[in-house]
Amino acid sequence: MTDSGLSPPTLASLAPSSDVTLAPAPGLRELFIGMLQVALSSFGGGLSAWSQRIVVEQRRWMTNEDFLTGLTVARLFPGPNQINMAVYIGASFRGLPGAVLALAGMLLVPFSLLMLLGLVYFQVHRIPEVDRVLAGVVAAAAGMALSMGFKILDTYWRDPVALGLAAVIFVAMAVLHVRLIPLVLVAAPLAMAWYWPRTPRPGPG
Amino acid sequence: MREVALASLGCTPVALTDLGELAQVIWTFLSLSLFSLGGGNTLLAEYHHLSVEQFCWLTDAQFADLYALAEAAPGPSSMIVGLLGMGAAWKEGPLWGLLSGFGAELAILLPSTLLMVVACLSWNRLKDSPWRVAFERGLGPITLGILFAVGLKILTTANHGPRAYLVSIVVCVLMLRTRISPLWFMGLAGLLGGLGVINR
Repeated sequence: MTDSGLSPPTLASLAPSSDVTLAPAPGLRELFIGMLQVALSSFGGGLSAWSQRIVVEQRRWMTNEDFLTGLTVARLFPGPNQINMAVYIGASFRGLPGAVLALAGMLLVPFSLLMLLGLVYFQVHRIPEVDRVLAGVVAAAAGMALSMGFKILDTYWRDPVALGLAAVIFVAMAVLHVRLIPLVLVAAPLAMAWYWPRTPRPGPG
Repeated sequence: MREVALASLGCTPVALTDLGELAQVIWTFLSLSLFSLGGGNTLLAEYHHLSVEQFCWLTDAQFADLYALAEAAPGPSSMIVGLLGMGAAWKEGPLWGLLSGFGAELAILLPSTLLMVVACLSWNRLKDSPWRVAFERGLGPITLGILFAVGLKILTTANHGPRAYLVSIVVCVLMLRTRISPLWFMGLAGLLGGLGVINR
């Protein structure tokens, strides 16, 4: 696979990892440095692909199965996926301290950079030329925000209940201005009750 | 101009130097942390409500700018909370801005991180539980609805005028159809803005 620089790398489906010998469990220092490496490598995007490449292929800390389990857990639980993934990797080896160090390694450089950007922004954003450029940048960024919903729409396309539920949530938020926390506290139990796994009926299939 | 407009709406900025106010702000971010479904972007509309409408730290334009900055910068875009925190304390000076930015990011990450550690340690018991299955299936459509509402909110916050909307829609389609890095879109749109094609 070639990285053209135009598009971030995608998650690789690796060969079954039964024949792979794992490295010894990383210590706190290694976790920090490893996640630092992931963060630096992924500056053009594709953070999960990079973390798979480094954690599974290069450093051999965990099998690909364990890594994919981590992605599942990271997506399921609240919190940004990539940050949750760092927590998963750290916590798998060194518990809470491991999670904190992995997180620190992942966020140190990007967060410092963002704070630097912020410092510059608040100094210069009133300059008319800067504001004009930003007016354009912001329109493109809004397009990215708009695409988030469409990106996962396919998953629910054949489930009318899911689409109806999504529509109700959309109207509640966008039209009725219901705040997120009360909305989720009411909608989540109802949705969970509807989607509660039913015991499979005995029979063919 | 913007300050005058805010004052006429009767929105007084919350001062972070008041300890009571500060505690309320920190509590707000801590509690939001556990509601960041589907990767954190679901909170963007809430961030807008808090920083523009409730606490009056930022204008609409500033919020949109910070969202774009967080998207353009390397690393998880949910770090926008650090920028919001910086904006909240900016009038006290850059050092307060940095401190507040760091504090806001810490507050939004702490609860979800602790929960994630617990989840990792008990995943073997959790993974076949009906609660897990129902949570995953039930929260998916809710996340979908929230993401559409968030997209619309950002769209109307950022854009003024048909040309800006056109750019957003084109970028949205390109994001879905191609794998081109969005940095190119932002760079190109920034150029259009600089040339005066897109205004606000």
